[in-house]
Amino acid sequence: MFNNNVLQKFVDICEYHKYRNAFCISKTYYTYNELGECISRIRKELQSQTFIVKNVGLIENDDLETYASIFALWLEGLAYVPLSPEAPIDRNKDIINQAGITTILDSSINDTFLEYNLIKSSELEKTTLDLEVKEVSENDLAYLLFTSGTTGRPKGVPISRYNLNSFVDAYDDLDVEITYEDKCLQMFNLTFDLSIISYLIPLLHGACVYTIPKTEIKYSYVFELLDESGISITMMVPSMLQYLRPYFEEMNFPNMKYSLFCGEALDLELINEWSSCVPNAIIINTYGPTEHTIICSSYNYIGDKSLTCNGVLSIGESLGDSELIIVDDNDNLVVNGEKGELCLTGGQLNPGYWNNEEKNKEAFFNLEIDGKIKRMYRTGDLCFMNEDGFIMYLGRIDFQTKIQGFRVELSEIEFHAKAFLSSINAVAIAIENKIGNNEIGLVIENEKIDITELLDYLKSKLPSYMIPTRFSFLPVFPNNINGKIDRKILINNFI
Amino acid sequence: MDRNVIVEKLRDIFVRILEHEEFDIKDELSAADVNGWDSLSHMLIVGEVEDTFSIKFKFRELNKMKNLGDMIEIINSKVDL
Repeated sequence: MFNNNVLQKFVDICEYHKYRNAFCISKTYYTYNELGECISRIRKELQSQTFIVKNVGLIENDDLETYASIFALWLEGLAYVPLSPEAPIDRNKDIINQAGITTILDSSINDTFLEYNLIKSSELEKTTLDLEVKEVSENDLAYLLFTSGTTGRPKGVPISRYNLNSFVDAYDDLDVEITYEDKCLQMFNLTFDLSIISYLIPLLHGACVYTIPKTEIKYSYVFELLDESGISITMMVPSMLQYLRPYFEEMNFPNMKYSLFCGEALDLELINEWSSCVPNAIIINTYGPTEHTIICSSYNYIGDKSLTCNGVLSIGESLGDSELIIVDDNDNLVVNGEKGELCLTGGQLNPGYWNNEEKNKEAFFNLEIDGKIKRMYRTGDLCFMNEDGFIMYLGRIDFQTKIQGFRVELSEIEFHAKAFLSSINAVAIAIENKIGNNEIGLVIENEKIDITELLDYLKSKLPSYMIPTRFSFLPVFPNNINGKIDRKILINNFI
Repeated sequence: MDRNVIVEKLRDIFVRILEHEEFDIKDELSAADVNGWDSLSHMLIVGEVEDTFSIKFKFRELNKMKNLGDMIEIINSKVDL
């Protein structure tokens, strides 16, 4: 049960470790007691609302109030919907409308969301400690995240309390020994679900969470934290290592106990080099889509003998009660060694997309396994299972890609680009840059034109990580044998 | 190297990487003040600076660069050697 296993456990930690540090934010430490007091203030304000919709907007700032808001909402039986203050206002409004949000928590001094019932969480008065867990159904939501959608609109991924509790159970299978002495990195935006593994797990063990100020260059600040604060547990996307790679020789982090990765394919060569920077760490590659609550499989790196395919580390075996199976084009299970689409089921499987029946029909289906009908999610990832049951990752089946660890539907970028260019065609493609990270290139089917206004338009519609960084022009797009635009040839346009 | 020469070269690099000129070159200028100065462009700027001045930064030096003034000082200390 989420209430006992997660919330009550957290409340007990707040009491037991009240003088220990829960957070380090912009070099300031906050104890579990301060966290508990902050939660109490926010929940009291929530209780004073005469009417509240269960999905509550949470403006993501890098401060104690933002994290306290999450627990205040959970204790009150409510769910959070993270909203990035850096995202275009149109996108945030779309999310607010889709989620039916009427109340928004904001710790900043900005008045951007005044038209809604705005709770300014940093201006609340001191109150008595109240961390009583309110009883609500396990099917109620814990959070609702919006990811990039194919039709140009973000799509909502609701995660229930039952799902999140299943994730916390599954985490135990990683065998990460985490104690109140650990210092854990939280480098993700709250709109990205790797943030949850990075703050929730440490807080359930009395450890301290180190965040990244929004004004800092992220990779530089991460290194500073690793170097000066003795961080012992990290979850990173592999892109982060690409940034640090030119400086690996200068890096030595003996305090690091566990170095976890997720969100993108992890190259063996890269991780071999990294492993000498973290001589005492266990390195774990994890895998999971947002729809299946954060992570559901893992593989422990064992040096040069690690299992790989095309130089990419295996994503390993299932965690918790998750079942990972591979099917062919007709949804039949394939035999070991044969390629197919990875599909998932288990307690972490979410209830489906938020108000999106059409997308649900595409992504979820029922499958009979061992005489039982199970609801499955199609990951869109091409994989195969080896003879020992380890899963090897081959790549995306469709045109979804990862930029800085964020999942991006290239078609969403194309949608907005084409809307601006009216009758001119445009194709967005992922290109690997000099340092081995993905960038978005936009090829426009036209003579060279000035793109200043197009860029301004895209910036008003899309978050910054989705804005193309390279542009090229072709009078006519090449077609492949199926008559589709040949994206492989278009990539050459950027080389 | 003359400080003004460094400043002018830096301005060129910033304009080339960030693709705009909407910033005032002054010592207090930091990433937070400039549109598009994020992790990726920072990495590219650092690479360009290293190539232009034929120097190589250590990572700890990069962390100490909190604004443009810091960057100029570190460059100056390296090109004079």
